[in-house]
Amino acid sequence: MSKEILHDVSLRMGRRSFLKMAAIGASFGATAGFASSDSIRSATPTEIKDPYPGSKRVKTICSICSAGCGIVAEVHNGVWVRQDVAQDHPISEGSHCCKGIDQIDLVKSTQRIKYPLKKVAGKWQRISWDQAINEISTKMLKLRQENGPDVAMFMGSAKFNLQQSYYFSKFAAMWGTNNIDHVARI
Amino acid sequence: MANTWGYGAMTNHFGDIVGHSKAIFVIGANSAVANPIGFKHMLQAKDRNNAKLIVVDPVYTRSAAKADHYLRIRSGTDIALIYGILHVIFKNGWEDKQFIEQRTYGIEDVKKEAEKWTPEVASDVTGIPAEQIVQIATLLAKTKPATVVWALGITQHSVGSSNTRILPILQLVLGNMGKKGGGCNIIRGHDNVQGSTDMCNLADSLPGYYGLADGSWKHFAKGWGVDFEWIQKRFFEPKWMNAKGFSLAKWYQGVLQEEKTYSSSPIRALWIQGTGITSMSQTLKVKEALDKLDLLVIAEPFVNEAAVITDKKDDVYILPACTQFETEGSVTATNRSAQWRSKVIEPLYESKSDEQIMFEFAKKFGFYDEFVRGMMMGVKEGKIQQVKKDFVWPDDASDEIARIIKTIGLDGWTAKRLRKHQENWHMFDPITLEGKGPMKGEYYGLPWPCWNENHGGSPILYDVDTSVKEGGMGFRNRFGLEHNGVSQMADDKVTVKGSLVQGGYPEITKDNIEKVLGITLSDAEKALIGANWKVDYSGIIEKKCMEKGVAPYGNARARAIVWEFPDPVPMHREPIHSPRTDLVAKYPTYEDQKNNFRVEVKYKSEQQKQDWVKDFPTMIVSMRVVNLSGAGMLERTSKYLSHITPEMFANIHPDLALSYGIRDGEDMWLHAPHGTKIKVKAHHNVSVTPDRICLPYNFAGVFQGVDLSANYPEGTKPYTIGESSNIITNYGFDIITQISEYNAGLCRVEKA
Repeated sequence: MSKEILHDVSLRMGRRSFLKMAAIGASFGATAGFASSDSIRSATPTEIKDPYPGSKRVKTICSICSAGCGIVAEVHNGVWVRQDVAQDHPISEGSHCCKGIDQIDLVKSTQRIKYPLKKVAGKWQRISWDQAINEISTKMLKLRQENGPDVAMFMGSAKFNLQQSYYFSKFAAMWGTNNIDHVARI
Repeated sequence: MANTWGYGAMTNHFGDIVGHSKAIFVIGANSAVANPIGFKHMLQAKDRNNAKLIVVDPVYTRSAAKADHYLRIRSGTDIALIYGILHVIFKNGWEDKQFIEQRTYGIEDVKKEAEKWTPEVASDVTGIPAEQIVQIATLLAKTKPATVVWALGITQHSVGSSNTRILPILQLVLGNMGKKGGGCNIIRGHDNVQGSTDMCNLADSLPGYYGLADGSWKHFAKGWGVDFEWIQKRFFEPKWMNAKGFSLAKWYQGVLQEEKTYSSSPIRALWIQGTGITSMSQTLKVKEALDKLDLLVIAEPFVNEAAVITDKKDDVYILPACTQFETEGSVTATNRSAQWRSKVIEPLYESKSDEQIMFEFAKKFGFYDEFVRGMMMGVKEGKIQQVKKDFVWPDDASDEIARIIKTIGLDGWTAKRLRKHQENWHMFDPITLEGKGPMKGEYYGLPWPCWNENHGGSPILYDVDTSVKEGGMGFRNRFGLEHNGVSQMADDKVTVKGSLVQGGYPEITKDNIEKVLGITLSDAEKALIGANWKVDYSGIIEKKCMEKGVAPYGNARARAIVWEFPDPVPMHREPIHSPRTDLVAKYPTYEDQKNNFRVEVKYKSEQQKQDWVKDFPTMIVSMRVVNLSGAGMLERTSKYLSHITPEMFANIHPDLALSYGIRDGEDMWLHAPHGTKIKVKAHHNVSVTPDRICLPYNFAGVFQGVDLSANYPEGTKPYTIGESSNIITNYGFDIITQISEYNAGLCRVEKA
C-alpha cells in the first residue's frame, strides 16, 4: 500500500474503523511491504518537506504543572503524530520540561485503561460500559437509600479542566453531599 | 492568604518576576524540578536584573544550587524564621511605615510577637545561623521590589495556615504588595489546581469560594435553574448542606470510624475521578478503608493505585476516562490566567471524557435535567432565566461559570474570549502579559478578577496605582467594616487610580451602593439589583462600579490578625512529631480538635504522648523529582520518564547511613511512629544533613515491602513501582484546612 492510498482510505473510513482494519491487515501488509525493496516508491517533494501532508496543528496546553506551557500538537488523520513547543506562547516561550515534552507519549501510553473493568472474586474482568453504568448506579442508589447521600465520598481532580471541575462540584451537590475533595493540597 | 487580603492565589506572575523582581525569596518550593519552566523565569530575573535568589529549604535542592543564598531550615520552623527576619526589620526601622499605616490592620501585634524572636532565638529554633538571618533581613529590606515564592513546603504542616499568613505579613511590612516585581507568588502544583480550587472540588465551599451558607446555595440554585428546596431535599437533612464534608486528608475515618466522626452516615462508597490515592498521608489507614468499602468506583486514564493497594475482592470498578487531550475546556494557570485547551484527538479505546461520565451517571441518578440546565440559562432583561433548549459543551459550561462566579470575578471569562486568547497568544507580552494589536487592552488569559466582558483582567493583585479598568484594585473588604472599633477600610489617602470614590470603601451592596458611589438608582434598577456584588445577576452593581472606577469587592485593609483563628497572629508551634523535645515544651501544638471536616483531630495528645525523638531520631522531608509529579500515576507509565528514577529511594547522608551499616545503593527500612514501615534504596547524598532524610512521594505499587504487581489489571502496571513515602508520613494535619503534615515528621532508619 502506498502512503497515498493509506491516506485516502483512512479519510473515507474514519480513524477507528480504519485502525481496526489496519490491525487485521498488519501481517499481510508487513509481508508484502518488506518482501522486495523494489516496491518502495520515491518520496514526493511534498512528503520530503512534510511527512504528514494535510495534518493540522492544534494549539493546546500541557497537562502536567500549573505554569501552563503551550503545546502545538500535530494531528494527521485523527492521530497525534508529533508534539512541538510553542515558540510564541507568552508563558513558556518555546520551553518545555521533560514531563511536558512527553505529553504525546502519555496519551499514547500502552498502559492506558482501555475498557471498563470490574473486580470479581479478586480477578479483573472486562465489562461493557452499559453493564458498568447499570451496576454502579444500582449499587450507589441502594447505598443512598440505606444511609442517605453522605454515604458517598467524591474525589475530583486538579487535572480536570475548569468546566469539568465545576460540574464535578455540581455533581456531588446534586447527589446531596459535601463529601467532596481533591488533591488541591492547599 | 485569603484571610489576609481577600484572595488565596498567586498575586503576580512569572513574567513579572523576570521583568521587575530584584530579589526572589523562595521558601518551601523546589521549582527547578517541580515547575522547571516557572523556575526558568527566576533564572532570567537573575540574568537580566541581577536579582538575588534566596532559597530556604530543609534540603539542598536543585533550586538551592542556583541560589545566591541558601538557608538550611529545620522542617516546620518557617514562622520562627520569618519572625527572626521581622525582628531585624522592625529593630532597624526598615518597615514600610506608610504602607502599614494606610493599607494594613494589626501589624502592631505582629511587631510585638517579633520582639521575642531575636536572630539568636530564631536560629536556635530553625537551625539557620543568626548572622544569616540578619543578612537576609538586610537584603530584603534594602532590595525592592522583592517577591516571595512558595509552594507545598509551606502549606503541608500542622501550622500550614499560619505559614501562609506570616509570608504575606512579611510582604506587607516590606511594602511589596500590589507592586510590579513584588507580591506573593505561590506556585500551584497540577496544571489546573488553581482552577479546580476556584471551582471548589472541596468539602467546605461551593464553586468560587461562596461557602456553604443558605444564601450561597440560593445563588447557585438560581444560576442552575433549580429550586433551592429541591437541592435542600437532595441532602440528608437541611443542616448537612451547611456542614463541611469529609476531607481528602481524613475521609478514611468516615469508613473506619476509629476516631470520632460527625456525619449523617458512614462512608460506604468512594468515587474517584482523578486523584492519586497514594498522594494522601496515612496510606495504611487509606488501604484499610478501601478494604472496608461497599463500593469503589474509579474513572481514570491510567490505573489509580486505589485499585491496587486494596485487598477488596469485589465491587471495584475502573472506568476508562480519557486524557485532557481528548476533551476540551479551559485551565487556570498558577497566575490566574485562563488558557483554552483544545482537543487534540478523539478519546482512544473505549474511554470517555470525565464530563461524559458525569452526564451518564446523572441520568441514572435522576438529576440529569437539573444538572445541565445551568448551561441553558442566561440573563435577560436583568433577570436570570432559561433562554434556550440545548447546550454545547464546553462553551455553554464556560459561560455558565462566568455568569455565576462573581466572587473572584470570572464574569469576563466567556468561552468566546478564552478561545480568542488562545488563537492570539502570540499577541501578548511575556513580561507584562499586555496584549498588542487587536488584543490591546487585555492581559493574556484575562487573569481574574476579570470584572466583565470588556474587562482585560488583573495581572497584579492589589495594585492601587493602576485603575480598576486596567486591572488595579485595593485589598478586598472581606472581614467586616470594623474590628475592635478600628475601620477596616483603606486610609483616605489610598485612592485607587482613576477611582471617583476617594480613599477606602466597603464591598458594594444593594444597601450601600447609592451612598458609596454617590448615585441614585432608578426604581427599575432597584427592583432588579441583587443583595450584593457577589449575587447580583442583574449586573447593575458591577456596571455602576466600573463607571466610577471602583472594584465591587471594596478597598480595604489587609489584616495581620485573623480573629477567628486559634492563633490570631501566627505563632510558631513545633510539628506534631518534633525532634526538639525541649522546644515542644516551649512551643506546643494546638489543643486537640473536636470536629473539623466531620472528624476529630489529635494535636497535643499526639505530640505529647511520648518523647518521639528517642525512638524515631531522624527527620523526614518530602522531595520532588523532575520526572514525576503527584502520585506518579501518569509519569510512571512513560518509559522515558520512569527511566530517570527506576526505583523508589531516599537521600541519606553517608554519615547517617554508614552509622547503621548501610552502603550506597543498599536497601533500608524506614519506620514511622504510627507503626508503619517502607523498604527503599539508600542513596548516599550530601544534599541532606545527617539529622534528616528526604524522599520522593510519587511511587506506589509496593506496600511495606510487599510487591503488589499482581493486583494491577493486565497491561496497566507502570514501568516503575515502589513504596509510597506516604505510608510513613506522620500523623498531623493543619488546624484549618486539614492538609496533612507531609513535610515534618520523624522516622527510624534500619538496615534491611
